[in-house]
Amino acid sequence: MVAPLSFQTIRQLISDVEIPSRLGHYPAELVQAVYRYGAPVGSTILHLPQADRLMPLARQRINEDETRGHSCPSGMAFLADELTGSRGRFQRSWYAPPGGLWLTLVMANTLLPESMRLYPLAAGMACCEAIRSYGIDARVKWVNDVHVSGRKICGVLCESFTSSTFAEEYVLIGVGLNVNNLPFPAELGATAVSMKEILGCDTELTSFAARLLAKFSWSFGLLCHDEAQRLAADDGSGAQLPDSLLLAGWRELSDSVGRKVWFGFDVQRQPQYQAEVLGLAPDGGIVLRHLESGGEIVEHSGELLYID
Amino acid sequence: MTHEIDFDAIIGKYRSDPFDYMDVCTIHTGQVRFRVRQDAAVEGPSGEWHHIRGTLLYEMTREGNQKKIFSSSNGVVSFIRDDLEGQFVEAGEKILTIRHPLKKREIIENILRQVLEPFNAPERAKYFFSLELQAKIDKHGQRGVSIKPGDEILTMSLMKRDTPVYYAGEPGIIHSVYFQPGVSVSQGEPLLGICSQEKLPMIQKIITRVKAEWE
Repeated sequence: MVAPLSFQTIRQLISDVEIPSRLGHYPAELVQAVYRYGAPVGSTILHLPQADRLMPLARQRINEDETRGHSCPSGMAFLADELTGSRGRFQRSWYAPPGGLWLTLVMANTLLPESMRLYPLAAGMACCEAIRSYGIDARVKWVNDVHVSGRKICGVLCESFTSSTFAEEYVLIGVGLNVNNLPFPAELGATAVSMKEILGCDTELTSFAARLLAKFSWSFGLLCHDEAQRLAADDGSGAQLPDSLLLAGWRELSDSVGRKVWFGFDVQRQPQYQAEVLGLAPDGGIVLRHLESGGEIVEHSGELLYID
Repeated sequence: MTHEIDFDAIIGKYRSDPFDYMDVCTIHTGQVRFRVRQDAAVEGPSGEWHHIRGTLLYEMTREGNQKKIFSSSNGVVSFIRDDLEGQFVEAGEKILTIRHPLKKREIIENILRQVLEPFNAPERAKYFFSLELQAKIDKHGQRGVSIKPGDEILTMSLMKRDTPVYYAGEPGIIHSVYFQPGVSVSQGEPLLGICSQEKLPMIQKIITRVKAEWE
């Protein structure tokens, strides 16, 4: 069960733990700036003992707020102890019993399209960092699946939503993270893993939720900071723009580069071709070498399935 | 949308010149290096998923950043600005034309595009029908499904972020589908061709006529 969690708790965690840890890698003014950008995360936190799915609730809440003449607060988080009708992409079932962390985060989109497209990468990075902070060697597989030794520990689903009254654009980030839920149904046993299975003990869910939201504050803050840096440096001369800190961070957490993969839009049902992962493009796309033809391809939509 | 169509004029036009002429313009400013010559045969992307690139047309370099531009269609280079070789060229400059030989199917589609209401891709992404619409198509067939403004018809997928796409044109049936699930569509390219019920007989007439008159 997730106990009530407040915005102040997250800010305190950022101030006491996250900022000192980031200062080992980044200058102080950058760390402060990034957390200012990421400050809205967790601005409002709604906790539900049980829900069918959280994405529709988030959309409903946005529209209800607007009907009353308000904008939905950016950074609003919906947490549920259990989901009864959860699903992944392409209507894949997602097992969401008590013990896991089931979250939907609502972010008002203030980014340019080329930055907005990186939200899914930023979300995967936050989830991976949160798990790793508990001593688990989690890795990100492009775009944002988090796995431990090839078994999925966390899935992320992102959707855009335009509100019905004010036509404001939001990004909804759904996270399903296996924390204390164990055992898994037979059909998932070989492919899924939870933190409990790795650590051998339960993790306090409320603390973990706070840690995860703090990590989101950093990764979404980086997304905004990167955009600001690029806009400031772009004088129209075509000079090289600063590298994205978000993408650099994502690359450090990913084990996709160098892997042999099946690529597919819906890779489970329809794998399209085999390739070797060459790297991450500056726009977040995955750079692949088609194994059959040797041609280089940059894909921006789809999934990878490791085959080595 | 056109309500009257002069079949004889259109078919005459395609008989005398059964080609599409595709202009290639520079994607941004930079130094151009051509990799094809006048009258060279070029290929478009191939492979089941269009994953094998077409012929390399030109390279564009700016600030040490080199981009390779590949042909999006098969055909012959019918026009090339040789005088710009190695020069710094502004964005949007026409530097090549590819003459693409039309197949019967493409001729029909070209004519239909004058009659059908196009629904274009809002962004370069991959598209698939919304779950509700896909279920209707599975049940009634593509041309048995009517859509109206405000209907959620597609999901746009980019970097594993799904965005619902709503229809904003005239009510009608989905006559033509120009995208394949899993294959990227460029911004502004048509995704669907929508046809109002009253135009269906005319559409059928076009298809029958072209098929009958074209070897």
